[in-house]
Amino acid sequence: MARMKFYCDAERCVECNACVTACKNEHEIPWGVNRRRVVTIKDGEQGERSLSVACMHCSDAPCAVVCPVDCFYTTSDGIVLHDKDICIGCGYCFYACPFGAPQFPESSAFSSRGKMDKCTFCAGGPEQDHSSEETRKYGRNRLSEGKLPLCAEMCSTKALLAGDADVLSDIYRKRVINRGASAFNWGVNFNNSKLQG
Amino acid sequence: MIHRESDVRIPTLLLLMCMLFLQFQVHAADPPPPPGMVSTVPGAELWRKVRQRDGKSTDGISQVKGVDAGILINTQGDRWARFRINKLSPYGSIALAVVFLVIVLFFVLRGKIGIDGGLSGRMVHRFSDYERIVHWTLAIVFIFLAITGLILLLGRPLLIPLLGKEAFSLLASAGKEGHNLFGPIFLISLLMMLFSFVRRNIYEKGDLTWLLKGGGFIGEGHVSGGFFNMGEKTWYWIVILIGLLISISGLVLVMPNFGQSRIIMEISHVLHVLGAVVLIAVSIGHMYLGSFGTEGTAEGMKTGYVDINWVEAHHDRWAKECHEKNLVISAEEYARILGKKAESGELLATEQEQGK
Amino acid sequence: MIKSLIDGPLWYFSLAVFCIGVLWQLARIVFTAGKTDLSVARGSAGSGAWRNIFTRFLPRKEIAPQIGIQIVAGYMFHLGLFALLFFAAPHVLFLEEHILGFGWTAMPHWAFIVASQFAFLGLIILWLRRMLNSVGRLISTLDDHIAAILTFIVMLTGCFALLKGFSELRLLHRFTVELLLIYFPFSCLMHAFTFIPSRAFTGAWFGRRGIDA
Repeated sequence: MARMKFYCDAERCVECNACVTACKNEHEIPWGVNRRRVVTIKDGEQGERSLSVACMHCSDAPCAVVCPVDCFYTTSDGIVLHDKDICIGCGYCFYACPFGAPQFPESSAFSSRGKMDKCTFCAGGPEQDHSSEETRKYGRNRLSEGKLPLCAEMCSTKALLAGDADVLSDIYRKRVINRGASAFNWGVNFNNSKLQG
Repeated sequence: MIHRESDVRIPTLLLLMCMLFLQFQVHAADPPPPPGMVSTVPGAELWRKVRQRDGKSTDGISQVKGVDAGILINTQGDRWARFRINKLSPYGSIALAVVFLVIVLFFVLRGKIGIDGGLSGRMVHRFSDYERIVHWTLAIVFIFLAITGLILLLGRPLLIPLLGKEAFSLLASAGKEGHNLFGPIFLISLLMMLFSFVRRNIYEKGDLTWLLKGGGFIGEGHVSGGFFNMGEKTWYWIVILIGLLISISGLVLVMPNFGQSRIIMEISHVLHVLGAVVLIAVSIGHMYLGSFGTEGTAEGMKTGYVDINWVEAHHDRWAKECHEKNLVISAEEYARILGKKAESGELLATEQEQGK
Repeated sequence: MIKSLIDGPLWYFSLAVFCIGVLWQLARIVFTAGKTDLSVARGSAGSGAWRNIFTRFLPRKEIAPQIGIQIVAGYMFHLGLFALLFFAAPHVLFLEEHILGFGWTAMPHWAFIVASQFAFLGLIILWLRRMLNSVGRLISTLDDHIAAILTFIVMLTGCFALLKGFSELRLLHRFTVELLLIYFPFSCLMHAFTFIPSRAFTGAWFGRRGIDA
C-alpha cells in the first residue's frame, strides 16, 4: 500500500510561496487560514534555506493523540484527515503539532476559533468524494481523481515533492548522489557530475 | 518529529546525511575551495538547527503571519500531548476516584460527626445574605466548570465508548463553550469571595493546636476553633490561591487573540489541569463535610444561622464571644426570622400566597 | 422530524402565542377601567408619570444599602441580556432573516460573550438572593422560580450552541426559546412590557394627588 508523503528539498526551494498561493486558491481557503507556509531559516545570512511546510501526515500523529473528541483518522494511503463535524475547535492539535499545521478560521477572545482546518493532501474528508459538502468543508479532492497535491505538482523548482514515500526517496537519493558527485568535481553543477543518477 | 516504523523516508535521509557528512570530512582535508563556492553539505547543519538539537529555538521567518509561524518544528508539542494523555488524564481520574472512595470509607467507618447533647434550637447568626450569595454563586459556577472540564479531560477514554463520537462531540462542544464562558464568571465570584471572607480567614494563635490534634479527625472529641477553624481557613486559602492559578491559566488559554506561543499555552494547560484536579478533590471533601458529614453545618449556608451547640462543639472561642455579646437567639425568634410558625414550621405566608 | 417541527410549526405556534398573548395581556390592562378619579387635582398627572418612569431606575435612598447587591446584579442581568439579545451577531442575523427583514451592526464576539457573562452572573445572584434571603424566599411564587430558571436554561443552551456547526445544539436553543415564548405572556416575564406603563400609572396617580415621590 502506498504511503503518501511530502518532502521539501531545501537545496531547491527559492521561497516563491507559490505552493501557499496555489493551495489557498485550489481549496478556496478563507482569510487567515494557511494550510501551507514557507519558512526561511537564516534569512539574509550565509546558508539561508527555505522549506515549505504543511501537515506532514505523521504515522503516529500527536494531533490524533491529543484530540479530546478523537476526530482524526488515517486513510489507507497514510494520510491524516479529520472530521469537521466532530471537531470542537479547542486548539489542542495546534499546540501538539510539531509543524504548526492545524489552522483556525478565527482567533478572537474566549477561544472562539471555529473548526480546525489543515492540509488534506488534497484528499478531501470523510464525506462522499466530490460531494459539495466535502468541497465546502475540506476543499478539492484531487487524490481521488488520480492527481497529486497541487502545491507539489506546480512547484517550479520541483523542491516540494509529494507522493508515495518510496518514489520520493528514490528521487531524492538520485539528487543527493548527483550533488555529491558535483562536490567532488569542485562545482555544484549537474552537467559536471559524472555519477548522474 | 514523530517516530515512525513503516516510513522509509527518515532512515533514508539519515543515511544520506551520514554519507554527506563523510564526504565533507574527506573534503575538509583537501585544499580550501575556490572563492564563491558554497558548502555542499548544509543539510546536516540545517536540520540540526530546525530540530533544535542545540536546545535553542531557531526562529525563521515566514510570509504567513500566525502564532509561531516562523518555527519549523515545535519539539515540545508531542511531549505535552503525550503527558496529557498518558499522565494527566489517567492519574487525575485515579486521584479523584481515590478521594471519593476515601470519603465513602470515612463515612462508613466514622459516620456522621454529631454534636454532644444534640441541637438546642437556639441559634447564632453566622453568614449574611451577601456572604451566602457569594458562596453559592462560586459553588454553582465551580461545579459547572468542574463537570464541563472533566468532560473535556476524561471524555475521550470514558465517554466516547459509551456515547459514540457524534453524541460525545455535541456534549464536548457544549461543554467547551460553557466552560469558556463561565470561566471569567468564576474569577469574578472568586474575587467576591476573596474580599468578603478574607478578614476572618487570617491564621491566628490557636490554629496550630488544631492542626496538631488533626482537626478532630484523629481521636475523640472536638478541637478548639475560632469563627473559622484551621481546616476551614486552609480550605479558604486553597480555594483562593489555586482558584487564582486556574483562573489566570484559564484566561491565557481562552484568549488566543493575544498570540501567546504554543509553549505558554501548554504550560498553562498543565497548570490548569493540575490545579483543577486538586481543587475538585478537596472540594469533594468540603461538600461532604458541609452537607451530611457533620450535623448542623449546612444550616449556616442555607439560612445563615447555626445552632449554638454546634458552635460550642466546633468553634468554642467564637461561642464564648457570642455569649459575651449576647448574640444567641431563641428558637421562636429564629422561626420568626424565617417566617415560620415556631412549632409546626409551616409558612406564615402560605395563606397570603394562596389568596392571591 | 424533530428538526422540522422545531424549525417550522412549533416556531410559528410559539411566536403566535407570544404575540397574541402579549397583546391580549396589554389590552386587558388598558380596558380594565378603574374608577374615575373624582378628586380635585392637586398636581399634574402627566409630569408625575414622567418623573416616576425615570426616578424608579434608582432605589430609594433609605433602602439602597440593604438591596445594593440586588440593584447591581439586576442591572448587570438586564443590560447584559438586552445587549446579547439585540446586538449579538447570530441574533441580529436571525432577526434579519426570519422576522424583520432588516438588520443592524452587531457587537464583536468578545463583547457578546462579556455581555452574556454579566447576564449570567446577574441572574445567578438574583435567583440566589431570592432563595437565600428569608423575605425574598417568602414573597417568591412558583412563577418567579419558573421564569428565572427558564430564562437561565435559554441562556445556557444559547451558550452551548456558540460554536456554529452543530445543528442539534442550535435546535436545542431554539426549542427552549420557543418554550419561553409560550410561557412569557402568562407570567411575571410580562414586566418587560408592563414596567413602564405601571410606573407611569403609579406616577400619574401620585402626581394628581401632589405626592412628590
